[in-house]
Amino acid sequence: MIELQNVSRSFGDAKLVQALNQVNLRLAQGERVAVMGPSGSGKSTLLNLICGLDEPSTGAIKIDNVDIASLDDDSRTRLRRQKIGMIFQTFNLLPTLTALENVSLPLRLNGVAKKDAEQRATAMLQKVGLAGRAAHRPDQMSGGERQRIAIARALIFAPPVLLADEPTGNLDSKTGEEILALLDELHREFNTTILMVTHNEEAALHCDRVIRLRDGQIISSSAVTARTAEGQ
Amino acid sequence: MMLSSLASITWKQWRQHRLRTALTLLGIALGVAVYFAVRTANVTLLSSLTITIEKMAGKATLQIVGDEGGFPEAIWETVKDTPGVHIAQPVIEVLANTAFEDEGSLMIVGVDMLGDRELREYQFDEAGEEIADPLVALAQPDSIMISRKFAEKHQLKDGDKLPLFTAQGKKEFVVRGIFKPAGLGEIFDGQIAVMDVFNAQFVFNRGRNIDRIDLMNESGVSVDELQQRLRTRLPAGLEIGPPSSRGKGIENSVAAMKIGMTITSFIALLVGVFIIFNSFSIAVNQRWKEIGILRALGVERPNVQCMFLVEAALMGMLGSAVGIGLGFFLAIGAERVMSQIAAQLFSYVTTQQPPVFRWDYAVTSFVIGVISSVIGAWLPARAAARLNPVLALHNIETRQSENVLGKPRIIAGILLVLTGWALIAFGPASVGLSLQFSYSVLIIFGLVLLLPALAALTARALRPLMDRLFGSEGVIAVDSMIQSPRRTSATVGALMIGLSFVFSMGAYVRSYQKTVSDWMDRIVNADIIINTSENARSRTNHFSEDLGKTLAAIPGVRRVENIRFLFLPYADDSVALIALDMDGWFARVKDVVEGADEDEVKDKIIRGEGVLVARNFVARYHLGVGDRLRFQTPTGPFDFPILGVIEDYTSEKGAVFFERELYKRYWNDPAVDIIDVMVTPGAEVATVKQAVTRAVKGQHRAFIYTNAEYKKFIMDLINGFFVLNYMQMTVAIIIAALGIVNTLIISVAERKRELGVLRAIGGLRSQVRKMILLEAAAIAIVGVLSGTLAGVFNTYFLVRTAAHMIGGFTIPFRFPLTIVLVALPVALGIALLAAWWPARKAVNLKVVEAIGYE
Ligand SMILES: Nc1ncnc2c1ncn2[C@@H]1O[C@H](COP(=O)(O)OP(=O)(O)OP(=O)(O)O)[C@@H](O)[C@H]1O
Ligand SMILES: [Mg+2]
Repeated sequence: MIELQNVSRSFGDAKLVQALNQVNLRLAQGERVAVMGPSGSGKSTLLNLICGLDEPSTGAIKIDNVDIASLDDDSRTRLRRQKIGMIFQTFNLLPTLTALENVSLPLRLNGVAKKDAEQRATAMLQKVGLAGRAAHRPDQMSGGERQRIAIARALIFAPPVLLADEPTGNLDSKTGEEILALLDELHREFNTTILMVTHNEEAALHCDRVIRLRDGQIISSSAVTARTAEGQ
Repeated sequence: MMLSSLASITWKQWRQHRLRTALTLLGIALGVAVYFAVRTANVTLLSSLTITIEKMAGKATLQIVGDEGGFPEAIWETVKDTPGVHIAQPVIEVLANTAFEDEGSLMIVGVDMLGDRELREYQFDEAGEEIADPLVALAQPDSIMISRKFAEKHQLKDGDKLPLFTAQGKKEFVVRGIFKPAGLGEIFDGQIAVMDVFNAQFVFNRGRNIDRIDLMNESGVSVDELQQRLRTRLPAGLEIGPPSSRGKGIENSVAAMKIGMTITSFIALLVGVFIIFNSFSIAVNQRWKEIGILRALGVERPNVQCMFLVEAALMGMLGSAVGIGLGFFLAIGAERVMSQIAAQLFSYVTTQQPPVFRWDYAVTSFVIGVISSVIGAWLPARAAARLNPVLALHNIETRQSENVLGKPRIIAGILLVLTGWALIAFGPASVGLSLQFSYSVLIIFGLVLLLPALAALTARALRPLMDRLFGSEGVIAVDSMIQSPRRTSATVGALMIGLSFVFSMGAYVRSYQKTVSDWMDRIVNADIIINTSENARSRTNHFSEDLGKTLAAIPGVRRVENIRFLFLPYADDSVALIALDMDGWFARVKDVVEGADEDEVKDKIIRGEGVLVARNFVARYHLGVGDRLRFQTPTGPFDFPILGVIEDYTSEKGAVFFERELYKRYWNDPAVDIIDVMVTPGAEVATVKQAVTRAVKGQHRAFIYTNAEYKKFIMDLINGFFVLNYMQMTVAIIIAALGIVNTLIISVAERKRELGVLRAIGGLRSQVRKMILLEAAAIAIVGVLSGTLAGVFNTYFLVRTAAHMIGGFTIPFRFPLTIVLVALPVALGIALLAAWWPARKAVNLKVVEAIGYE
């Protein structure tokens, strides 16, 4: 599904910052992986590279066996639109659009007719439990609600991959737990591949595997066993 | 102390937002430039006109000037015999034409060569020593002296022949003296020649008239004393005064041109104020957080406000300084156009001058630029000072709750608009144009207050349409307008003012053109029209009645009518006089005389028992049918009743029409300016025109038009008059376009993150570009809508007030529908062009950085 081969990413020219260093990673379809590591270890950089917002200095990133470095910006954008959903720590909703408009936005950008797009967006809002808030704007909603809108937006295309950069970082633990439960549910339904950056060990328990980064390198990769024990 | 540390923040802001700073500076600079250029061009024109007069006057301390037809030379005898007169010299000035190919006019000065050298230095070239003796030259009537520049241009030497078109046809003169390019030799770019005054009288058909007497007082008598003495001895109607005072009359005749330009230069400034307002509103928005921190750190409110105002003043100073420099160059171009108009419409001779740099104008422009900047920054600065620091620090979103849509604002706006409109419609005309102009400014201010509401309303109305047409990109584009009504309305405001004046000028010009062309269709009805000048008329170059007789003999010519067209002093100004064969004219025009019994009036006019006057003339001097019209003429007072009023657009100063025989009798002047030729029924006009051309060619410098050609020629002259306004309009539009660029760049900067998110969730670059372009288009649409609204009010002001005040003309109000229809795509085009750079910026946004958290 997703394959990183010897991927490095460095910033600056004089004082080179090696954000990622020779990273090799494989994600299977439907796999859920948590990325953990200290601040500055390269977690966000990794996500940005996978979704094609950033390009590796060396190495190859393949999504469904296509090397995204070989694509031009537009093709990469389309790939991202259809295959990769993104969730951010700060939600990043468009403030002037209503919940429904925010969720239907990727569809509309893809040329789906307004009516269809809104129908699908309404269904998606239902799934994240916010059907009643369709006409509200982001500033009229709580943090948890905003993140759920963001998730609905990320999943509107039913993308095979979901990238989440600290999706619970800005939420209290109870709300965070709700978001994680929602992700579990969606995973069950769509068998989405999830790559989630988190600082939270609890959150990592919702995943199948945890990889740990330090100074741009993967220092460990281990299967999560505890979550089966919890019987979820 | 505090201010100096705040100043360093300002400096950093300028450097960080270089483009915005540059655009703002440019906005001010252009506004100031136009303002300064108009004034500079105006004084330059006047100076080139007065320098011509002064150089022409030589050492004369007083000049005696009649009207355009001149005055009898007998007056010269009286003047010479007046005690206290040291020298008195008769002068004739004729703008003649040489028979050289591609040659313009040559100014011929007729003087008494014996006495004149005491008054004027001619500085003859050494080469022509023997000819420098005027006695020799005088002995031969075909002598002419020319400037060295003219001699060089045509490779003329002493003794060479110079062919000239005179009232008696082509005549050859012999060069007997070439004078240096000093004094007289500098005038009119060296296109000047001197000949004997009595010879000039003869060849230019001036009878026993002269144009002027230049005189010097004796040392024992003061100029004022002599002026008084002459006044009592000479007939009324002659102007007696020092040469310098003659500039006044010239200033009067170009006044209409000046008023129009001054109004438009204020508009350019007003648009500049908007740019500043826009830029500072944006700066305040962008620096919300910074302001909050400053306030939290203990900077007092007045200091925050002060910081922005000082910043604005600094920008104003820089921008104004640049603008003054820029304006000086603009003035060169503007002066060219103006002197062309002065020549074409008023037939003035100018001597090209470098632009006059006037410190007082520079200082005024500078101060106005700075004040405009501070005014523009006032509201944003106040908003910054009133900012609640806690809110600013904790919630960036506060900036969205802009309080510009409040009810009081809307009510105030509506009240201002209505008041302004009511004042224009019902206010007395006697208050003067500047006060009346302020009414239209009142309307503009009212509309400006209404703009945010208007912009928000239109944007909301556009939202579903944009959604339908352009999908989510369209929605996001208009949303961004609604989101910051202040930002949007500042741009729309700049656009509105620019466009409204383009609309109203356009509407005014079109109404004027339509009115004039309708009028010409009624009044200009000869088949062939022959003029003495390539301009509207010539002051000094005339046909003789003989030419008319020659033309009458051409087969196919049914009738020839002579017309004298000149300006006479009237009240403190002048009035156009058109003396023509009334019976012929009346036979061809219908229903020209307003009121009264038309047939009776016509009979009386034909018999020379009264005059017709233009409607704008009666309006200007509050006259009516039955009132008497008086002029001083060379043969005594002219005093006739006004028998009728006609609609006429000959001059903004008014016009008087009467029988040419009456004119000849009173003014003793048989000169002809225009010859109307009527073709016999069945004859081909083109054929007759060819025959006329053949008869005239090589004999007279004449410009021959068919009816349609003549009308077109007049329309072109009128359009030339508006060129300056078009120039200024262009600048206003450029400034407005700058406003759009500015706004969109800010819009992109403010929504960096939003745009980043859009790209992150799958927005293509082309989609982002589309969004920015659509936003520009939406702004343009709102701009055109509000510009149309403001434009309609302005047109109303122009046709109702300005046209009436300047020319006494009544011009019907027409809604400029075509202009609106043309303006929409043009404004859209400009907006899209202006959006190009911001769109590029948005497209090349680094997504990762844009969504990276602070
Ligand atoms: N655009 C950039 N220019 C220069 N350096 C960068 C850039 N982006 C990231 N870096 C550097 O790369 C390294 C990795 O950054 P990254 O954002 O991936 O860390 P992270 O693991 O996500 O940290 P955090 O947990 O704080 O979000 C850091 O040292 C950072 O300073
Ligand atoms: Mg990170």
